[in-house]
Amino acid sequence: MDEKFDCIIVGAGVAGLAAAMTLANNNMKFLLIEKGEFPGAKNVSGGVLWGNDLAKLVPNYWEEDAGWDRFINQRRLTFLDEQSSFSIDFKSSHFNEPPYTGVVVLRSKFDRWLADKVQEAIDKSDYAMDSFIAPNILVEEVLQEDGKVVGIRTGEDKFYADSVIIAEGVNNLLTRQVGLQDKYVPADHMLTGVKEIIRFDQDVLENRFQLNGKSGMSNEFVGFATNGVEGGGFLYTNKDTISLGLVLGLKDLREKEQKPHDILNEFKKHPAVADTIRGGEVVEYSAHIVSSGDKRVMPKQLYKAGLLVCGEAANLLMNAGKAIQGMDYAIRSGILAAETIVGAKEKEDFGELAMKAYQDTLDESYVMKDINNFQDAVHLLHDPVMTQKVPNLICDFGRNFFSIKNEPTPKSRDMLRGAIKRHASYWELIKLGAKGAKAL
Amino acid sequence: MKLLSLPERLGLVSYRNQAKSDIKPHIKVDTDICNSTCPHKCTTYVCPANCYTKDEQGKVHFQVEDCIECGTCMYACDQGAVSWEFPDPEIGRGVTWNYG
Repeated sequence: MDEKFDCIIVGAGVAGLAAAMTLANNNMKFLLIEKGEFPGAKNVSGGVLWGNDLAKLVPNYWEEDAGWDRFINQRRLTFLDEQSSFSIDFKSSHFNEPPYTGVVVLRSKFDRWLADKVQEAIDKSDYAMDSFIAPNILVEEVLQEDGKVVGIRTGEDKFYADSVIIAEGVNNLLTRQVGLQDKYVPADHMLTGVKEIIRFDQDVLENRFQLNGKSGMSNEFVGFATNGVEGGGFLYTNKDTISLGLVLGLKDLREKEQKPHDILNEFKKHPAVADTIRGGEVVEYSAHIVSSGDKRVMPKQLYKAGLLVCGEAANLLMNAGKAIQGMDYAIRSGILAAETIVGAKEKEDFGELAMKAYQDTLDESYVMKDINNFQDAVHLLHDPVMTQKVPNLICDFGRNFFSIKNEPTPKSRDMLRGAIKRHASYWELIKLGAKGAKAL
Repeated sequence: MKLLSLPERLGLVSYRNQAKSDIKPHIKVDTDICNSTCPHKCTTYVCPANCYTKDEQGKVHFQVEDCIECGTCMYACDQGAVSWEFPDPEIGRGVTWNYG
């Protein structure tokens, strides 16, 4: 591997694999480096891969019973107080046919499967013998000469390329090293995710969650789930397991002096959750940092001469209340980064201006359009009125509304008024409503 | 459903190079900072793998063996005590997820 590559991609997660697939399909000579034992070995996500960009990488992926676990045809948002749960639930057979609205994945399996698909694309390319997926290698340095990125270093070994795509994930040490992000990133807009994989007999799982064939459901939780810390919970159905976890605002966790693993146990004890996980067996516990989608934490720019940053290394992740999107952003940004490299190769120009084309196309894509348009929604979701008072209020109203007491029943309007009085003020709700109307 | 303690949970994690006794730590913590000027010692509660602990005197100790590479301490520590790198595939610890 003495000669120079067109591109070196650092990280074989979803973003890096999307970039690699695009390069292979365009007959580029590249090296994809992964620090884990295999692609996916060190990746953790919730995780639902939303939308249908996966088909851009693996057309007709739905015909294969491999890689992904279930397609989503049911969405549920649950508000919790200490004893109650109040859900908005939507299920539709509209979502039963591909293109799916989203698929549930487990990264250790999914990324490895996707990497096999990339290898197949490499085998069909002009560089079948010269492009590589190289696991078990840790990139320690991005090499620069005369202000231009020229390759990478791992231990004593150096590899050279016209371009480098950084797809190293949220803990983006190389992005910081090349100066695109501050060396220290504060906790303010970061969250800690903790998750358990809980296994069931597949029959039990399918009956309990009313699944049919490969259908699945996603459930997000707000309120009591997080023990007063800002954030929320999630439950996704995999093939014969569920992913159950929390994302917790790290700054708030620090200020409230709470342990994420303790809060996860409190969440599991909540009656609404306890009844759904009964009889399951925990088979994995994991944790990972995620970014909130707040633009203030993003790198100043996503390119330099000879270098592009994509996926969560660029903090491309957002929870605007509708879904936690990140892996779809990773795919799209990986594709756009690779397309920029393909264009640069045609003109033999990897300079800063040529690399800026990536940022421009990303800005024009749904990824940055959504991130820019929904910043207010991101802030709203971290508002304590929204994360604590509203769930309490909704559950209080629900408890009264659904109680039949064989005594004169008050009008719903009065029940609502009482619930508001007990948990918030009208002023807070008016402010929240105004913010919400603007945000969504 | 029985709730698991943190050691039980970490018992389910596959760590790399577990057989090697002499590993290269990927995180270095200057506990002198934790034990002198830090006002919160927050790593002792925010770390999801409890790698940071407080002894009876309230002094912070760090062990890397249980680290699951989540990154939490790198952001949570605002005192400059945590130097965070990824583990070396050959002589580091770190994780291999079975599900992820």
